Formats: sequence, structure tokens, C-alpha cells
Amino acid sequence: MGLLRLLTRIWDAITSFTRPPNPATLFRRADLYRQGGRFEEAAELVAQGLRLAPNNGVGHLLSAYLHLAFRQIGPAKSEFQAVLALDPYHPRALLGLAKIALEERDLASCRPFLDKALQIYPDFPEAKALQDMVSSWTVTSPVSGQRLIQAGPPIQAEKLKPPAGGREFVLTQADGTLVFSQQGDKDAEDLAGHVTQVYRIASATLKRAGLGALRRGIVQAATETTFFRSNDRLILALSFPQDVKVGFGLLETDKLWTNSLRELGVRA
Amino acid sequence: MSAEPAATRPAAVRAREFRRILAEMLKIDRVRGGLVVAADGLVITSSLPRTVAVEPFAALTATLGRELEVGADRLKRTPFQTALFSADDGTVFLGSSPVGFVVVLGDREVNVGLVQWALRKALATLEGTWGQPGRIPASPEAS
Repeated sequence: MGLLRLLTRIWDAITSFTRPPNPATLFRRADLYRQGGRFEEAAELVAQGLRLAPNNGVGHLLSAYLHLAFRQIGPAKSEFQAVLALDPYHPRALLGLAKIALEERDLASCRPFLDKALQIYPDFPEAKALQDMVSSWTVTSPVSGQRLIQAGPPIQAEKLKPPAGGREFVLTQADGTLVFSQQGDKDAEDLAGHVTQVYRIASATLKRAGLGALRRGIVQAATETTFFRSNDRLILALSFPQDVKVGFGLLETDKLWTNSLRELGVRA
Repeated sequence: MSAEPAATRPAAVRAREFRRILAEMLKIDRVRGGLVVAADGLVITSSLPRTVAVEPFAALTATLGRELEVGADRLKRTPFQTALFSADDGTVFLGSSPVGFVVVLGDREVNVGLVQWALRKALATLEGTWGQPGRIPASPEAS
């Protein structure tokens, strides 16, 4: 009997090397790779697992995460939807779709996903953080041209002239309303939308870290550096070529900020 | 620094590399914490003050990083490399990499230039780990 058991074990050990792993094992290994930032290997294992088990929710969820990690939003969305087709209340799939809706600035779609996830799992920290953030946002379509935050004479554009090298100057309200822009209508709307969204998310992030309200920001890219200045109501963004000295950019942004507040008759 | 080119290192080294990068950032005076978070919000490694819950903070920083990426794309700008956002009591730094975002939390006295330089250096290392060696500035002054 003992010998038989030993032979069985040896046989199992030998065949485990040649037997293809089952989907559960593949997904478990994929998740470990993913957690270590080894996305390519994880994706390979997930694809292998989904070929064996096309209706596996774990596999589709991992696939969605990996698409997101590779910044492939369309396929990620489809995979989250595949998870929800199998389990309509899957909190992670709901959160994933909420995040994608947020990226697409589709607040009307984002909120129900978060609400549904939290309805079933009220202690879902990531979903709660995003819900806290979006709950105060109003849906505003920025209108091109000038819109004053208070009644008064129209802004005199020449008084809000950006410094030499400065470009894409935009002034918006915290709710997304475009107050003033240097650019053409369509570009200004897109820019104001982005500036507002960055302000909102950065504000929530700073608040979550217990650091207070957003005052300044600097975003550096390969071709330009953008400076942000804000208080609780207004946001100013101004870009310079990438090689701008940060000190100069900060100084010029501050000057424009002071002028903007003066023009609008608002205190800092 | 290892003499071995980063691009040839096995992928298994990545997890260790993330931890090492974060540990380097945490050595900077007035840095209170940091994390490496994937674009999907997965926390790869983190070290944050007790008062900051990891998952919600990571979810927000990943969302912020994605808005900076998506917004730049929408506006036909080049992708962002680093960003910082300051409040009265401190600053959040964010760097973009193929794995996701490197996030650093500094208090109000943090040396912004030094953190930005260290962050760029960390990002260049991460890009190297992903097979595209990045350009590392020689010093904070050069960045």
C-alpha cells in the first residue's frame, strides 16, 4: 500500500510538469505577476486561461485590469462589461467602469456605477473615495468666450495679456465655467475642461492626504510646462515652452493671477 | 547602480526595483511617503503615513495621473512626465511611467527641486526596467 502511494505521488509529480495548468492556476499566477508589475507575463497567462475558460469572471477582470495598465481603454471596458454580464453586482467591475466613465468625462454614467458598487459593498474604500470626490461636482458645459463669476463690466483682454512665451492661458471657475481664455472657442472649451478636471482631482487627492486646498500646480511634459494657480473658486492655467525656468514661470503665473483677480474684483 | 543594463534585467527584478525606487525617494528630507500605483489603481508598493489610507489615496492618484495623460492626448499635447500639486501643508508629486505612476508626498518644507530631480531619476530607471533607458539628469540643478 505504501509503495503504491509512493508510486502515485511520483507519477503525479512527473505528470504535473507535462499536464497543462488549469485556468484557476493560470489566473492565480497571472495575478501574482500583475502585483509585481509584470504585466506582459500576466497578460499572456490570462489569455491562456481565457482560452480554456472563456466565461471565467476572474479571468475577464484580470484582463480588464491589464488592459487598463496598458492604457487600452476600449478593450478594458469590454472586459469589465463581460464581468458584469456574469455577475451584475461585481464591485470591482463596477468601479472599473466608473473610472473609465470618469476618464471619458461622462459623469452621468460614472455616478450610478459607484452608487451601485457602494450599495452592495458600503465599505469599498476606492469606490467611496471616488464617490466623495464626484459628489460635489456639477455638470457644467463650459461656454466659449467670457463669462463673469460676478456681475460687472466685461474683462478687458489687454489687461490679462500673458507674458512673453506664455500660451494657452485659461481662467475657469471651480465648477468648470470658462471665465476667460486667450484661445479660440473650441480649444478653450477643451482646455478649460481639462484644467477643471485636474483641479478637481488634485484637490481631492491633497485633501485625502490631509494637506489642505490646492494652491499651485506644475505639470511638465516633453514640449511644455503648465503652471496652475487656484483658490477655492478660480483656477488659472498658463503654459510655457518646456525649457522655461520654473522660478520665472511661477513668478509670471502669480502676476497674471493677481491681475486676473483684480480684473474680476475678487480677493485672493 | 548595477553595471548590468536595465533593459536586460529579468522581469522578476521589477518588484524589487519598485521598492528600491520608493525607498530612495523616502530618504529625501521632508518626504512623508509615497507609492507606485498602476494605471488601473493597483498599488504595487507603498509607504504612507498612518493617517493616509492607501487604497483611496492610490485610487485618486491613479485617477489624477490618468486625467493628465488623457487630457494631454485630447489636447494633442505631449504626454506629461512629472507634475506637482501644492497645498498649504504639503505637496503631492506625480511621475508617469510605463508601469503607472510614482507618487511622492512631501510636507510644506520639502525641497521641491530635489524631489522633482529624484523623481525624474526614478522614472528614467523605471523606463530602463521596461526596456527603454531614460535620460537621467546629472543633478537637481541640471533638471
